[in-house]
Amino acid sequence: MIDIYLCDDEPTVRRQIQTALERTILIEDWDMAIVCSVGSPQSLLEILEETNGRQGVYFLDVDLKDETWDGFLLGQEIRRLDPYATLVYITGYGDLAYRTFQYHLEAFDYIVKKPEQLEQSVSACLAAIQERLAAQRRNPKEVFTLQTGGIVRNVPLNDILFFETAAVSHHVLLHTVNSRIDFLGSLNELEAQLGERFLRIHRAYLVAADKIEEVDMKHSRLQIGGQECLISRSGKALLRKTMGESV
Amino acid sequence: MVAYLFAVTDERAVRSRLKKLPPLLLSPLIATLLAAGLYAADLYVIPGFGMVGYFIISAAILVMCTIWVCWTWHFGLWRAFAATCMAGIFQVASATLSMTLFRVIPLHDNFEFVVLIGISLGVCIVVVLLLYRLQFGKWFCLLLYNESDLWRTALLLFAMEVVMEVFLHMANGVQSQFMGLYYLMVLVMTILMAGLVVYLARQFDTSCKLQAQQEAIARQQLYEQDLETIRQEVRTFRHDYKNLLAGLSQQARAGELEQLHAALSELDADFDRRLGEKIQASAQIGNLQIPQVRSLLLSKLAIMREKGVECRLEVYYPLKTVAMDIWDFVRCMGILIDNAVEAVEGTDRPWVEIILLAQENGVNLRVSNPWNGKVDPAHFWEEGWSTKGSGRGLGLYSYLRILERYMNISPCTSWTDGVFVQALTIGGRA
Repeated sequence: MIDIYLCDDEPTVRRQIQTALERTILIEDWDMAIVCSVGSPQSLLEILEETNGRQGVYFLDVDLKDETWDGFLLGQEIRRLDPYATLVYITGYGDLAYRTFQYHLEAFDYIVKKPEQLEQSVSACLAAIQERLAAQRRNPKEVFTLQTGGIVRNVPLNDILFFETAAVSHHVLLHTVNSRIDFLGSLNELEAQLGERFLRIHRAYLVAADKIEEVDMKHSRLQIGGQECLISRSGKALLRKTMGESV
Repeated sequence: MVAYLFAVTDERAVRSRLKKLPPLLLSPLIATLLAAGLYAADLYVIPGFGMVGYFIISAAILVMCTIWVCWTWHFGLWRAFAATCMAGIFQVASATLSMTLFRVIPLHDNFEFVVLIGISLGVCIVVVLLLYRLQFGKWFCLLLYNESDLWRTALLLFAMEVVMEVFLHMANGVQSQFMGLYYLMVLVMTILMAGLVVYLARQFDTSCKLQAQQEAIARQQLYEQDLETIRQEVRTFRHDYKNLLAGLSQQARAGELEQLHAALSELDADFDRRLGEKIQASAQIGNLQIPQVRSLLLSKLAIMREKGVECRLEVYYPLKTVAMDIWDFVRCMGILIDNAVEAVEGTDRPWVEIILLAQENGVNLRVSNPWNGKVDPAHFWEEGWSTKGSGRGLGLYSYLRILERYMNISPCTSWTDGVFVQALTIGGRA
């Protein structure tokens, strides 16, 4: 079952959304339920910690009139407690800093508080969530989570090509098929954390075994995603062991 | 003769350290070329070895080093020349000092060579470390940023270099009882020259800051004009609003619910159109509470408006501090925005998105633009690479050079779904 959490400090709006949600769930007969509908962020967090909720769906007001929590910070805290949460924001203005929410919280959607459209947007949004969650369940994605300066980033494990020590000490460069991310870390820790799918072929390189394109033992180099990595002597031995005599 | 050769080697060492901007790994190709050229020069000069020969060699070395510096750091000719002269001054000074030392303590022929190398290297290392410690390179680089007076600076440094060379030769004529004095004079002379350079750099720095402040004030005024238009819009809107409300209440009284509804949505849309967007934009700029950052962004926004590039700026929380040198931050930001604008210029629907998120544990900057080309990750970070062809991407190279100095900064680049993103996370508080 999917837990739905709702937090808006305007009781009328909250009731409206709650009704819309309940009605949609009932009509579509989805395996969802509203487990929490509150006006204060504090009580939402308390309930969340009690129920130990996982992969919930959260409808949050952007402009919470709370001293410690605004919509963004609350979303961040929820992400911390429930990393796979689906966040939906309720806002009075369409032109809010929605990109910020999208990138930094991976917010799923926005619902603009317009009385005449509210119910329709809520049910459309819920349908999209249902579809995405179902797709995720059919095809679960493993992710690698990294944190830089308080911002959490989930990188699909399958996209990762290799890790490389950066020019700045204690920094690691993560190369994926479509990005290059610098973060604080050490290859030794990553090697232990990631297990056998990644091979430590050199002091400065940790590569995804299934992404290697070409190995050139003679020149101690290998090609991965169009880039070149060095291979050390022990790296060669490791490659021979895991990839057989083909290399 | 051999002394010249290794003098050049230590000169090169001094230079690459001095500039701190390191392709510290000397390109071996140029090094060998230099050495070969030197050998050739030596061979030519052997018959008429003397003052003239020495000066020819010196000039040749100077020219070669200038070309090399040009090539290695992508400096302009004058800038490279100035750098070479500065390095030359230090090299000649250190050579002079070590040679006089060597002259004071006479040694057997067998040891001469080794001892000379040893002393020379020793002096060189000490000088380099000292320069490093005093951050001379930083000031010197600053001086070289002054584009307009570059040739004057270069000529001045060249003159100083010549003076230093003359000093070196005067050593031959100095009687041994004045050696100590001579030694002291060379030392004082070198320090004076270095001091002069630092003084000039500081002078330049102050004038730069003054100019930057004036520009900031000018942009601030532009921003205030924007706020003033908003104020006026609010005033007219208030007037219209009263009228609209009167109309609405009329409709409500008459029970025309359909029309009432339509009028309300119209009011909402009208507000968003006339004021909402402007208020939104000015609120973002208002959140930029670091004057340098605000003035940079205001100027970049103005440029984008001029070029017809749509820009979305989001600054959700007030930006008060950044845990890095603020000018470095501004430079990084400028480079990223310039690159983004350059990439979208001339495309169908050009847009650039700038998102700044300031939180307790750090600041995150994200600059993105649409881009449908192909990225070759292996070459992306090399000097001169750019999405618009080679020779344009020097900005990214210096961007990475700046970031290398900070432990708390993580750059991130990604290219997904036709959007190219450069992000920068600066951890911690300043």
